[in-house]
Parts: sequence; structure tokens; C-alpha cells
Amino acid sequence: MSATQSSAKMYKYDDFDHAFVRDRNIEFADQVARRLSGEITEDQFKPLRLMNGLYLQLHAYMLRIAVPYGVLSSKQMRKFAHIARTYDRDFGHFTTRQNLQFNWVKLAETPKILEELAQVEMHALQTSGNCIRNTTTDQFAGAARDEHSDPRPWAELIRQWSSNHPEFTFLPRKFKIAITGARKDRAAIRVHDIGLHAKPEGFDVYVGGGMGRTPSLGHCIRTGLAGEQLLSYLEACLRVYNRYGRRDNIYKARIKILVAALGPDEYKRQVEDEWARMDRAKVDAPVAEIERLKSYFPDPDFKVASFDRVAFERAQTADAAFARWIKNNTNPHKRDDHVSVTISLKPVGLPPGDASSAQMDVMADVADAFGYSELRVSHEQNIILPHVHKGDLYALYTQLDTVNLSTANVGKITDMIVCPGLDYCSLANARSIPLAQDISQRFEDAKLSDKIGDLQIKISGCINACGHHHVGHIGILGVDKQGIEFYQILLGGRADEKAALGVITGKGLPAEAVPAAIERVVRLYLELRTSDDERFIDTLERVGRETFAGALHEPA
Amino acid sequence: MSQPNSAHTPQLVTRDGDIIPDGWTLLADDDTTGADGPFILGFERALRELDSRNGHYGVRVLPADDIRLLEPFLEKITLIEVAFPGYRDGRGYSTARILREDLGFTGIVRAVGDVLRDQLFYMLRCGFDEFLVKDKDPSQAITSAAKRFQTVYQGAADTNRPAWALRHTQA
Amino acid sequence: MKLLTANRLTDGLTLWYAGTPESGTQESGKPESGTLESGGWVEDAALASRLSDDDAEALLIAWKLRETDVVAPYLIPLTDTGTPVQREQVREFVRANGPTIGQTADAIASAHNRADIFEN
Repeated sequence: MSATQSSAKMYKYDDFDHAFVRDRNIEFADQVARRLSGEITEDQFKPLRLMNGLYLQLHAYMLRIAVPYGVLSSKQMRKFAHIARTYDRDFGHFTTRQNLQFNWVKLAETPKILEELAQVEMHALQTSGNCIRNTTTDQFAGAARDEHSDPRPWAELIRQWSSNHPEFTFLPRKFKIAITGARKDRAAIRVHDIGLHAKPEGFDVYVGGGMGRTPSLGHCIRTGLAGEQLLSYLEACLRVYNRYGRRDNIYKARIKILVAALGPDEYKRQVEDEWARMDRAKVDAPVAEIERLKSYFPDPDFKVASFDRVAFERAQTADAAFARWIKNNTNPHKRDDHVSVTISLKPVGLPPGDASSAQMDVMADVADAFGYSELRVSHEQNIILPHVHKGDLYALYTQLDTVNLSTANVGKITDMIVCPGLDYCSLANARSIPLAQDISQRFEDAKLSDKIGDLQIKISGCINACGHHHVGHIGILGVDKQGIEFYQILLGGRADEKAALGVITGKGLPAEAVPAAIERVVRLYLELRTSDDERFIDTLERVGRETFAGALHEPA
Repeated sequence: MSQPNSAHTPQLVTRDGDIIPDGWTLLADDDTTGADGPFILGFERALRELDSRNGHYGVRVLPADDIRLLEPFLEKITLIEVAFPGYRDGRGYSTARILREDLGFTGIVRAVGDVLRDQLFYMLRCGFDEFLVKDKDPSQAITSAAKRFQTVYQGAADTNRPAWALRHTQA
Repeated sequence: MKLLTANRLTDGLTLWYAGTPESGTQESGKPESGTLESGGWVEDAALASRLSDDDAEALLIAWKLRETDVVAPYLIPLTDTGTPVQREQVREFVRANGPTIGQTADAIASAHNRADIFEN
């Protein structure tokens, strides 16, 4: 649509990749046909459809589409809009795993949806089931000022290696890998089954982190691992888990339980032993392949234009909402004349992470016009334009504003991570989204959001922790108490480079009491903080959880 | 409505799609009749007795058994049956790869138990060469599994070359 | 008293059994072949039949065999006042009325031109 449109700098399928997805789609279409004809039963079909990201939820089928390490082209975003319009109810939901879910698809139409996705080099493989899931990474990869290694080529290497892995398709439980390559950890690597920190001198490998029923932080079992040996080391890690991870109890089947049972040292010993015996040359991709993958992720052809600082500042003075958006929704870029922009999918009072087909189309359009045709999905369920010239910010903002995409709340109290909860999910015990709506409405009404500064609320509708409640500065966990929804509040979690798990404070609260309880905590923080720069989590760590726990459970 | 796959009687099929008779008998642990015929021993019994036996045996390996314990006896073993009690239990895939790629076992590796057509592709890649499979057409199931994917992304126990190897051979 | 619910195989939408205990079943207890509609299934939970426990169990067993029509059929036990038993109350309310997101139960009910299916 625009003169600046170019193709996004991201991995592109070659014939091998196209053939793989085509073959897999043929296989799935055959499985669907066998299910519809009755040749296979639901019991037999369920694991097969799950391997293709197709769930049966409370109201309908849900299809989860992989967005590899959260990187999207404008073309792919437009395809999502088309699928939402044609096969669903005109919207999609971006998830905490940097993926996209459609909540109302028809089984009989899924093969057609997968064909549409294949046209834009996408699929729904391994977005469910006990296999290696989509690798997640820093949403600012390749753009952030604090990055020392670009995680994307490595994430692509892992994506390919883990695709249809013959040994690791029936693991004890699902398996999630996250990679960061920056000083600040925006990928939450220590709460993943394997977390990788890419550094110039090699990878730090963390194993056994996770949330769910038994939250734990990953243990570092190796530092300085050479990139050319990454796959064989991962293969050794997975083999030990596949052989010895528990399979008798679904709640004890994740690798964190194995690592805790063996102890990190013994787990590491077994991995190293397996690694030493392995024919690594057979497993590890050669340097030429790693170089090939790296070649897909160059910088875009950065726009060369003088940046009119005076006009930029004048626009901010004239439009306070724009100024606020600049302050809250941009992240420092490695180039001084660019920033990364976060498009908030958390408008006050609407479901977090949802986008309509019209909004998806606009996001694709602005990516073409101002963002080198590239977008990212963050695990905070927002959309990112990684590279935007500062001179284009006002035009970008104006276009986003026409479709309610200009909410200026990134990292703020109303930018919550929220799972779908009992409104959609058949596993949930309580609703998440209506509670998030109530909380955001309360703080919006009180006009407190900017004053509070950075504060992460994370809400899960059940113990599986899809809403990351363990690592919210304030975490909220929905539980079912004899047919009534209650919410337990956790304090002090964080997912960054100082990762910590939140602690449950006191008894659960009924939904209607939660927003007020959180407001009491927040007002106490505003009293106690030493300066506007002391964030909620800093104050909490300084004065201790107990002080805040008291405020939670006391009526004001 | 056609018949569900799992309702079919299991048949033994080779990796080439030939249906073959099963000439082996699984011995109960207390059954001493079969001393040196085509008999399959349980894993524990094999560990206890193979040292003092001569001849060629089969061994039944369950998911939790550590296949590496059989290493000293491999030359007395002709057949290893890897059991899949439920098809979501994937330990047998590691067992087969270790047998082939680490221990260098060249005898027959057979998959038994809850073996359905949808697993055969993975089993072929992990080095299995016989399958006791529940399907209305086991031959067709195995031949279609073998050619289901033109592209594989990993080196494993079969002869398929991963995409990264082919990419750089061609270049 | 119980309700019988399931999802339609082809599109996954929630269905409710609105037939009589006899309709759609043969003497053998097996549902006849025929469409879901003629078998007594509807999309509107308000029309669901309140079944005796015995009838409900028999119908559940019968419909479990209809693998090519419905997925995951199950029974919802009701209290004397006709609402789901407590433990599953919220879930069944949401299943019957649709997602509660961004709307109140009243709005959902009026969109369906009826009162709430279950009180919540």
C-alpha cells in the first residue's frame, strides 16, 4: 500500500520447508476425514488434532496458530484478518506464547484454514500436545539497544530441529523453550522448561523452570555452550527427560519435577553423559546452515531521513494523548533515530489480547507504511513494530487511533497478561477476562495508571498458569470454591533477569472484592515509595510482602 | 460407519510393507520349557540369564527399562521387542535410537503394543523395522508412512538426511 | 434431574438434548440413524429437556456411540431449582449462555430474547 513497503526481514521457507508443511497438512486432512467418517474414534483423534493445535473448548473448536518466536510479516497479519473474517467470528486472540488463537473454527474447515496458512508460510503444528512447542523470544529482538546477540536465528534453528522430531513427539508433557539475547530478559527464560541466554561467548542453559502447580526457576546447567553444539545439547536434555520424566501423574510430568527430583547436578551429569555418547555430527547443523539462518535476519534498509525533533516535540505538546503514548509505548532502539513501538491490545474494558480483523488489517497497513512490513507478538499479548523511524510516529499514532489501537498503557497496571479463563477454556476454574476488565476500569476511572508507573498484573483462571500469575508483580489465580469463583492474590513475582516467584497472601477473595483490594495495595505503594522512580516491585522488595499483604486483606 | 483402527487384529508388518508371521514366542518368566528356540525373554530375566546362556534370543523391553543394561549381551540377542503399552508413552522411541545409534545393535527392533498407523513415521525414523500394528491395511499404512514427509529436519536412526544436510550438499 | 449436552462433531458448537427420553432411541437403546435435529438436539440451552437420572444415563450411553455426530457428551446434574449443582455452576452458566466477556448476563439473555438459562 505504500512506497516504503518492502518484504520483512525474516526467515523465508525454501522448498524443503514448503514440502514439509504441505505433507503435514495432507496428513492432517486425512486424519480429519477419517474422524468425520468414523474410521477413527474421538479418543484416537484427540491426540492427533492436538498435535495440530486444534482443541475442543467450552463452546467450540479452538485453533492455535504458531507465530514462530513471535515474528510476523504484514502479509501474515493480513492472512489472520482474512481467516478471522472467513472462518471465525471476526476476531482472534494473541496468547502469552506469542501465538494466535481462533475461538470459533469448524473441524470440517480446518484443513482449508491450514491451506490458507501454508500460503503465507505458517501452520498450527506443535502448538499443543506433549511435544516441543513454539520457541519464544524477546519481542524486541534485532532492535533493542541492550541486545548483545540476536536470538532469532537460533530460535529458527530450534524450530526446524523440533519440527516433527521423531523421538520427542510423545514426551511426558509439553516442552517450552525460550531465548533471550539481551541484558534485560524480556523472554522470561527462567520460567521455561529450557531457557537460553545467547551471549557472544555462547549459551547459558537453564533447565527446569516453569509455572503451573509447582512453580520453579530454572537452574543453570551449562555456560558458554557453542552455538554449533546447541542442538545436540538440547537433544541430550530432551532424551534424559523423555526417558525419566514422570508419566504417572500429569501434574508431575514437566521437566522441572524431574530436575527437582534428581537435583540439578545429577540431571546435568546424565545430560552430559548422554551428550558425550551422542554422534553429535549427526545432530548438529553445520556452521554453513547457521550462517544461512543468520542471513535471513539483517537489519531492514533503515530509512534515512532527518528527524525533525522540534516538530516531534511540538506534536507532543499539542496532543497530550500522543505524548503519553510516546512515553509509555516506545522502547529504545539500537539506532537513535528509530524506536520500537508496542501496540497495546489492552484497551480499557475490552478483552486483553483480542484483535478484530479490521484492527489486524490496520496493523498490517501501518507495518507496511512505517515498520518495514514487520510485526512481533509479545508474551504480554501486545503487537510490536520493532523498527519505526521517529519522524513517522505521529502519523503511525494517528492511524492506530482510528481503530482503538492507541491505548497508552504498555507496562502499566492496565496492561495485564490474562489467560482466556472460563469464558472459553475447558480447563479453567474461574473467569479471568471479566476480572481484568473490572480492574482496568477501576484504575482508569481513578486516573492512577501513569502515576503508578510500571506494574505488572497477571491473571490465570486455573493452576496451569497460562496467565503467568506466578511472575506478576501482582498475580491473580482463579480457583473454584464450591461453585463460586474465588481469586488468590500473589505478590512479588517477576519474570525478568531478576526472576522471582510470587507468594500467595491470605485467603482468596470473591471477584467483586478484587479490584478494591488491589487498589488498596497500590495506594499503599504510592505512600511508601521513596520517589516516582521507585517501581512497585522495588518498593515491595524493600519493605517486604507482609506490609502489602495486610493492605490486601484489610478493608480500607 | 467403518471400523475404528484399533478394533483390527494386530498384524506383523516389516518396514518394507510385507506381512510376516511371528515366529517368536514370549516366555513367561517362570516358563523353563523353551531353552533355546525362538523365544523372547522378559527384560529382567534376560539380564539374569543371558550371561550363562548360549544361542540367540529375543528380549521384551518395557518403557521404563534401561536399554543400555543389555549392552554386554547384545550378540546373543536377535530381536528386541519394544513395548508401547499406550501410544502416548514415547519412551520406546528413545530406546530404539539408543539401541541403533549408541549401542550399534543390528538385529531386529520391533514395536509392539498400542501401535497405530499415525506413529509409524516416527518409529521408522527411530530405527524400528517390524511393527505389530492395528490397522485395516498394515502394508498400506507402513508404505504411506515411509513416504509421508519429503522433508525431515533431524538426523536420526534412518537413512533420511535432514534438510540442513541437503541444503548444503546442493549448494 | 439432569441435562444432556455435547458438541457437534463438524463445527464443535454446543448442543443440548431437547427430545423426550424415547425420541431418537430405539428399543435397543441405540439412537436411530438420522440427523441430530431429528434426534432431539438443539443449540439453545433454554430448550434442553430436564431428564430423570435414569433416562439421562441411558441417553448418554446411547449417544456416546454416535461418534460421527457428537463429541464429548456429558450430563449436567441439576439442583431441585433447576440450576447446575454448585461445583460446576459457573462453567455450565458460561457454556449455556456464551462468553460473558464485555457483556452482562442480562445482555446475553436479551440477545437471545429470553431470561438467563441458569441463574449465576
